[in-house]
Amino acid sequence: MPKVEINGVSQVFWSQSGAVQALAETSLSIDEGEFVCIVGPSGCGKSTLLNLVAGLAKPDTGHVIANGKPVTGPGPDRVVMFQESGLFPWLNVLQNVMFGLKMAGVPEPERRERAEKLLHMVHLSRFTQAWVHELSGGMKQRVALARALAPNPDILLMDEPFAALDAQTRDMLHDELEDLWASTRKTIIFVTHNVREAVRLGTRVIVMTARPGRVKSIYDIDLPRPRHIEDVGLVKIAATIRDDLRGEVLQATHEEGID
Amino acid sequence: MNNVAHQAPSAALTAIAQTKARKDRLDRWRIYAMRLAFFASLIGLWHALVWLEVWDEMIFPSLPQVTETLWLGMSDQSLPAAIAISMQRLLIGYGLALCIGIPLGLLLGRVRWLNETVGMLAMGLQALPSICWLPLAVLWFGLGESAMIFVVVMGALMALTLATRDGVKNMPPLYMRAAHVLGASGWRLYVHVMLPATLPAVLTGAKLGWSFAWRSLMAAELLLVGVGLGSLLERGRELHDMSLVVAVMVVIMFVGLMTDRWLFSRLEQRFVHRRWGTSA
Repeated sequence: MPKVEINGVSQVFWSQSGAVQALAETSLSIDEGEFVCIVGPSGCGKSTLLNLVAGLAKPDTGHVIANGKPVTGPGPDRVVMFQESGLFPWLNVLQNVMFGLKMAGVPEPERRERAEKLLHMVHLSRFTQAWVHELSGGMKQRVALARALAPNPDILLMDEPFAALDAQTRDMLHDELEDLWASTRKTIIFVTHNVREAVRLGTRVIVMTARPGRVKSIYDIDLPRPRHIEDVGLVKIAATIRDDLRGEVLQATHEEGID
Repeated sequence: MNNVAHQAPSAALTAIAQTKARKDRLDRWRIYAMRLAFFASLIGLWHALVWLEVWDEMIFPSLPQVTETLWLGMSDQSLPAAIAISMQRLLIGYGLALCIGIPLGLLLGRVRWLNETVGMLAMGLQALPSICWLPLAVLWFGLGESAMIFVVVMGALMALTLATRDGVKNMPPLYMRAAHVLGASGWRLYVHVMLPATLPAVLTGAKLGWSFAWRSLMAAELLLVGVGLGSLLERGRELHDMSLVVAVMVVIMFVGLMTDRWLFSRLEQRFVHRRWGTSA
């Protein structure tokens, strides 16, 4: 049984120029332990798709099944990590990581222990008492990762989590995420506009079409791990996928009137 | 930053850092000195006006007169008693306003139909000086404490409610999404996310509400006979004792300043500036 089953979901919204279809009927099936990366031009609905799996939005048609149950709202089995960390400034680093555990009713000593372990894993043991504004962008995303992992979700949804980081920090976080995935075998759905990042991380890369978004093509990535973003094989595959994507990007920019 | 292991800098760098620290200390003393000089010249100006006899002593009391009145009021307990009774009314009224205003503001920020109805009423009431409630309050609650407390509540409530509501409306939506995803729902969203996220706005509203509460109370005490700082002002007017009037004004300003420095500023420093990384 697939871990996540997306069955003919679509979404429309109303704008000044009339009805806009953000996402055309899309179906996708993701197995347990897969690391699926979704790439597509801006506005293709890849974040919408992620929100539907997260339960933060409801599809206008179709449905999503996660862990064998239809998705009706957010749940602790599917935690999202956003492009901006979304960390709470009124809590320190440790309290941020403990937040999900507190909501789940985990008693204080245990949630502290689990949070400290996670912060150790993301190399932030020395910053448990720091406030969010004292952290760099990369550190914030590490804390956000620890916070997302704290409720121990078996599905991790990542919405361009490293897009705002510099290249060195991003490389480092790729390594850490790869290690994490290898050791925990969580199912990860990772949305990005960076094709190389997708090939660097994913077991599968899904290319989406320009708006209205739908699955255009699927690439299985069989490269050995650990991977490096500048590996020749990786760069080659990324080039193929980028060619595939180019037409969609052109169409998207054309629609946005930027051409 | 906490818990960061620093490598000890060289002696030369340490010296530079020490110089910086010394300059900071000096700056702080400079500010104290400036403040002292400012208030000293204010008192000087006061003296000058008295000495030049611009106004008659009867209507423009001198500093020694006011000090004497303050001293007398303190020693015969009339001033502390008035402060105590006014503070009591203020704290009850303001406390009630906090208990109603903050939850109401959170609800208005989150529940749209409530905001379109109750929110609009609150906006209207905000424009109404709360002392306008006094005639009705006296009829409803009698000539006593309850009427005055009601006026204080109405004075502070709207500022608090509306500031809290606006805090919720200006909250980054990402906080709510993150909280949802991490399993927060229902009342927990209010207590663990919305309230702390809007704390900067709530504190601003609380400060505003506090000053509105004072104004309302003074107006009510001036109009209703009884004990309290406002009533003392009224007595000063009746007895044509202007040094009493000025003394009461000084006391009110002093209490206001102290509340801001010892309560609101500290709360802001501790719960807002330090956490959000905003400047003090």
